[in-house]
Amino acid sequence: MTAPATNGDLPLLEVDGISKYFGTVIALQDISMGVRAGEVMCVLGDNGAGKSTLIKILSGVHQPDEGHYLIEGEKVRFASPRDALARGIATVYQDLAMIPLLSIWRNFFLGSEPTKGWGPLKRFDVGFAQQTSRDELWKMGIDVRDTAQPVGTLSGGERQSVAIARAVYFGAKVLILDEPTSALGVKQAGVVLRYIVQARARGLGVIFITHNPHHAYPVGDRFTLLNRGRSYGTFAKVELSREELVQMMAGGRELEELSHELDEFAQADADGASGAEAEALQRAAQELGDEAKGS
Amino acid sequence: MPARKRLFWPAMIIALVMVVAAGCGSSKKSTSSSSGAKKTGIRIAVVTHGQASDPFWSVVKNGVDQAAKDTGATVTYQAPGTFDMVAMSRLIDAAVASKPDGLVVSIPDANALGPSIKKAVAAGIPVVSINSGSDVFQSLGVLTHVGQTEFEAGLGGGERMGAAGVRNALCVNQEVGNAALDLRCKGFTQSIQKAGGKVKVLSVNLANPTDTKQRITNAIRADSSIDGVFTLGPTGASPALSALQAANLLSKIKLATFDLSPDVLQAISDGKMLFAIDQQQYLQGYLPIVFLSLYKQFGLMPGGGNAILTGPAFVTKDNAAQVIDLSKKGIR
Amino acid sequence: MAVTDVAPGMRADERMRRAGLLRRLLNRPELGAAGGVVIVWVIFAVIAGDRGFLGTSGTASYLEVASELGILAVPVSLLMIAGEFDLSIGSIVGASGMAIALLDVQYHWPLWAAILAAVAFSLLIGFLNGLVVVKTRLPSFIVTLASLFIFRGVTIAVTRRITGRTELGGIDISSVRVLFAGHVDAYSASILWWLGIAVLATWVLLRTRVGNWIFGSGGAAEAARNIGVPVNRVKIGLFMTTAFAGCLLAIIDLVKFASADVLRGTQLEFQAIIAVVIGGTLLTGGYGSAVGAVFGALIFGMVQQGIVITGVDADWFQVFLGGMLILAVLVNSYIRRKAAEARR
Repeated sequence: MTAPATNGDLPLLEVDGISKYFGTVIALQDISMGVRAGEVMCVLGDNGAGKSTLIKILSGVHQPDEGHYLIEGEKVRFASPRDALARGIATVYQDLAMIPLLSIWRNFFLGSEPTKGWGPLKRFDVGFAQQTSRDELWKMGIDVRDTAQPVGTLSGGERQSVAIARAVYFGAKVLILDEPTSALGVKQAGVVLRYIVQARARGLGVIFITHNPHHAYPVGDRFTLLNRGRSYGTFAKVELSREELVQMMAGGRELEELSHELDEFAQADADGASGAEAEALQRAAQELGDEAKGS
Repeated sequence: MPARKRLFWPAMIIALVMVVAAGCGSSKKSTSSSSGAKKTGIRIAVVTHGQASDPFWSVVKNGVDQAAKDTGATVTYQAPGTFDMVAMSRLIDAAVASKPDGLVVSIPDANALGPSIKKAVAAGIPVVSINSGSDVFQSLGVLTHVGQTEFEAGLGGGERMGAAGVRNALCVNQEVGNAALDLRCKGFTQSIQKAGGKVKVLSVNLANPTDTKQRITNAIRADSSIDGVFTLGPTGASPALSALQAANLLSKIKLATFDLSPDVLQAISDGKMLFAIDQQQYLQGYLPIVFLSLYKQFGLMPGGGNAILTGPAFVTKDNAAQVIDLSKKGIR
Repeated sequence: MAVTDVAPGMRADERMRRAGLLRRLLNRPELGAAGGVVIVWVIFAVIAGDRGFLGTSGTASYLEVASELGILAVPVSLLMIAGEFDLSIGSIVGASGMAIALLDVQYHWPLWAAILAAVAFSLLIGFLNGLVVVKTRLPSFIVTLASLFIFRGVTIAVTRRITGRTELGGIDISSVRVLFAGHVDAYSASILWWLGIAVLATWVLLRTRVGNWIFGSGGAAEAARNIGVPVNRVKIGLFMTTAFAGCLLAIIDLVKFASADVLRGTQLEFQAIIAVVIGGTLLTGGYGSAVGAVFGALIFGMVQQGIVITGVDADWFQVFLGGMLILAVLVNSYIRRKAAEARR
């Protein structure tokens, strides 16, 4: 991995001890994570873990109530997503910011249109836009036959890749992907994972948010696990096997505790209750224990 | 399934085209299926500012239709959906483009309609005006005007009301912006003032009778010395009647109106209304068709360059019964 | 979709036929409306050709109607592509016209000064419309429906308060007659204004950044905002443009008829929206064309005048108008589906 050096080993983006409250609800508590150049950081968690709140803070939609947000070591506070974008933090949401009826080249350059001429004759450089969007997509490995076709005619995976190609082209340093594979079939998901790898190869830092550990494990370098607003910690790939990851995500620890409880129940009841009931309870406890251990 | 789906759109389009074509065909037939005189091939276009759904103008249209039957001419009648001078001028332009043998127009707004009427005259089409525009028709090149002069009619109405003792009247105008109606109120006001009284103009929306009734009620309540209400048309008269009846003031406040309608005639017959001014609009529909037919055939045109008056004629309790009968036939 | 080292475009794709000019034409949103124009013209040429539809005065009369509606419809199409409605534009026509008439007749301003004042006034109320829509985030349908009543009511009330009348006539328009109401033969200057606005609008929509922003604001406003499109500014600007178009139409009518009245422009906003939708613009925004609005206004004009020239009785007028409009929209829809199927 020959990533271009950026201030040594300083993370491109880092959050340190951030929390977010909505009224009395604790959405996030004391979360710390970061991503370096040429690295994929996977943020995993089940629904309700706080992933969407975290992504909104990272992309500048919300501000953290506690803790710091650092870009290349410098403390920042984004007032809007446009501020984050200006600092090179590009977020690709699930809805992609793609307008289905609009052509690919128009979508590609939306908000950053190239122009030629000046004054009242300043016009959208259509030729440049069409050619460049085609080139950039090809660099990501997509040969789009006709960039004038509406984005809606592309498949889900293709649309994701256009969004990623757009972010990469416009000089994103950090790419935050919000559940990019969640709505895709197996093959399409594979395609997207490949683009993530390519983005990493070009020196970006990628934050890949997902609830699917089978997608995360192949491409991730480090993994942060969220559960109900809190973090289980950050683990490097070398520290964690795929099975351990799955187990942690399935709430393995809690299942183990539950199985112990049931065991004790079964014991206490066996002294008084009928044998069949106690047996059933013990079987349940056994099953839970097995599941917790990931067999 | 796919075959049937593919046929759906073409079928819809063909069906619609057929409906449109059938409608066009039938409307043409309706003006030519006459049991009257033989068709002379003379085409006359009528463009007025009053929709045929307005009870006043439907009498005009009946006059037009009867004259078409009697003279054998083919007549088309057009009016804009609302009181919209721009739309009306477009209708005149379109009528002129169809090169009729004669054009009949009402002129509620000479400034707005002037250019279109002048275009018709310049194209060599003989034009007769009706109902409104008695003061401007000559300057536009119109051959004659068939109608009632508004100011004088208002004057006459005011005199009658003044003679009945009215000293504080409400003049209810239902089509604000129509110069003719403004003149009616002005004439009325002059007569009442001459009798030593005063008049207030109340504007109402002709399309909304409930609102009109409410406004009249409010106006009467606001000033308890009002002893006369004068409306300028049936769309003002019916709500006024209703308002006065509801407030139980018919004995105290004298009510009179311009133009007739079944409600108005019944009210006069019952003694609830003092009188109505009949401008005999049937003549305004009938006569121009006759005049233009004769002009086309023989070059004859009455009037001597002046207006031909169709009113005012007063309908009172005495002649109400006969008028009611004719009104049911759509003639008065 | 394998990664290849062959340059894009050089690899023959067996799924793709050559994208000829015809194919690209089929993709355009205004194709259906163009078809509608042809069909409507043919229908009236057949049933009313000898009655004057094909003659100069017939053609000039429907072009005049089309041009006046088109001056409104083209800016309205841009606004609708950006996802908003302006229902107050008819009232703005009335208000602007009356403003000029009052300043000129009542207060004796020179006509040019009155016109400039009315333009500034219309831009201001367009700005207010846009500001309220953008800041309150209420649907523009509701906001401009409210301004429709407010502007109309103010026009009526202020005019009657100042003059006691509802229309002012006899304005001396000789200094500006040629510019706004001049004629070549029977053809009116408003046709040139209409075409000029259409060319400008199409250029802005398809060849400038702002045009891309208009598509973006209508297609996905929040997302567009997030990637740097100044959605609010675009929308406010478009509301000011529709208001200006209303003022321009008011000026043209004032000069044509040498008068203004408080009810002028009533219902034009709905006619403009109909013309825009016939032209292929979606009611939901994000897709459409200004050229389509030109075709839509043309269809409207041909239908409105053609029906009268044909000699159809006024009682049936509204039925036929509605029928012809549905026909035009169906043709539009049919062609668009065919084009979409061909593309797939």
